[in-house]
Amino acid sequence: MTSPLSRPAWLLASSVAAERGRSYISVQDASKTYASRNGDVHAVEHADFDINEGDFVSLVGPSGCGKSTLMSMIGGLEVPSSGRITIDGTPITAPRRDFGYVFQDATLLPWKTVLDNVLFPIRTQKRPVADFLGEAERLLRLTGLWAFRDKRPTELSGGMRQRVAICRGLINDPRLLLMDEPFSALDAITRDDMNLALARLWDEVHKTAIFITHSIREAVFLSDRVLVMNARPSRIVADIRVPFPRPRRVEMQEDPEFQAICAFVREKIHEGLSGGDGTVSS
Amino acid sequence: MDLQTSWRRIGLPLGFALLSLLAWEAVVRIFEVREVLLPAPSAIAARLAETLPLLLQHAWPTVWESVAGFLIASLLGVALAALLSASSLMRDMLYPNVVLFQLIPKIALAPLFIVWLGIGFQSRLTFSVFISFFPVVIATLAGLDNVDKSLLRLCRALTATPWQVFKDVRLPYALPYVFSGMKIATTFAIIGVIVGEFITSQAGLGYLILFASAQADTSLILAAILVLCVFGLAFYGLVAGVEQWTRRRFGA
Repeated sequence: MTSPLSRPAWLLASSVAAERGRSYISVQDASKTYASRNGDVHAVEHADFDINEGDFVSLVGPSGCGKSTLMSMIGGLEVPSSGRITIDGTPITAPRRDFGYVFQDATLLPWKTVLDNVLFPIRTQKRPVADFLGEAERLLRLTGLWAFRDKRPTELSGGMRQRVAICRGLINDPRLLLMDEPFSALDAITRDDMNLALARLWDEVHKTAIFITHSIREAVFLSDRVLVMNARPSRIVADIRVPFPRPRRVEMQEDPEFQAICAFVREKIHEGLSGGDGTVSS
Repeated sequence: MDLQTSWRRIGLPLGFALLSLLAWEAVVRIFEVREVLLPAPSAIAARLAETLPLLLQHAWPTVWESVAGFLIASLLGVALAALLSASSLMRDMLYPNVVLFQLIPKIALAPLFIVWLGIGFQSRLTFSVFISFFPVVIATLAGLDNVDKSLLRLCRALTATPWQVFKDVRLPYALPYVFSGMKIATTFAIIGVIVGEFITSQAGLGYLILFASAQADTSLILAAILVLCVFGLAFYGLVAGVEQWTRRRFGA
């Protein structure tokens, strides 16, 4: 579909030297290898890219491509076997209190109310809760959950629980929000809703974010930039800057360029799955 | 709960128990069973009424020793389970031994406690703690281990301290398990005290039962057992009530 000769403007060179200057998060030749009974498993190999401040970046790829491992390393939950990952030049070696984390499960405390769950990081980090009540209210209002602030997680739907988890990830005004497949457990309709809700939220909060997903459409719809990962070898095979302005609109998904980007990402993923010889098997 | 299910859940077992008592009464009267062998429920009730001050006087040491034994066992049990779940060294060292100890028929050790601690309440209390402690440890540890792993990952991401993880996540998650262990422990604590009273004591319901059996006063034995039943039920009910309150409080 996209021949290498006429590279579209949205497809970036694999290592964007021009952007290194104002880089914020810098992943420098990071690899992660696990020892197993059947020899070493290369979860991530030679990941090398920078993320600019304010960008919403998606990592998209098939399951087992190491995108979750890569995100865990950026979040300081795991340490790279080689290479390094820095924020403003400082290596990330442990979870940081100025990061926000959202996982695949909402991981809410079932005995706490919605509001208390959102404030849980503040209490854990022994900061004055009173200083963050306003921010909690703002986030819960933005996500349409303020009316449910005194409910327990069991009284909410799956989509609402995941929105609470996102509010919790944002409560400490993080410098980076890491989201690991936050919507993958939701049904398709709820997921579309959540994409829209997250896009709306981003129009308000403007945060640097890394978002992991295996939904191509979701990645392109939400992101300023999409990194495509492949499995075996686990590496980044395409780097795309999504050219659509914010706020994002649902109609944008009908745009031929949107569909061209999605098709290109799909092609890249299938190349990896079919052994890298370029044949598409869909 | 509609009328029919409430009838089934409360009326049916109650009705059966009542019918059994009536059958018991009838059998004793029709076949003229001697009171020393099996007194009729009416005879037990009469004996209970006339000896109530005596029964209550003897119930007191049994009650306070069981309750104290239970409370100490619960505290120690939760504390040991917390230690085992916090330290893998402690766990590897102690847990197999806890399980092994659990397998010993602990009642057989009761005389040893008299040898070690004398014939006062200390030996009965300690023995009661000793046998009611194990169900609490094992249930609590199971609960602490059962915590949602993704919540532990969240805690790590939030740089929570081990103590915060324990009090905010592990312990609340374990509470239903802790209570199921404690409910078993109520019965065990009473058994511990009664066995101690059987061996050596000048007071308590266990002592009274032994005394009455020496007098061939079967009605008094059964009256004492009835008092024990009421106490056991109230004790269990109290713990179950605290559990209900805690669950409402924490909404788990």
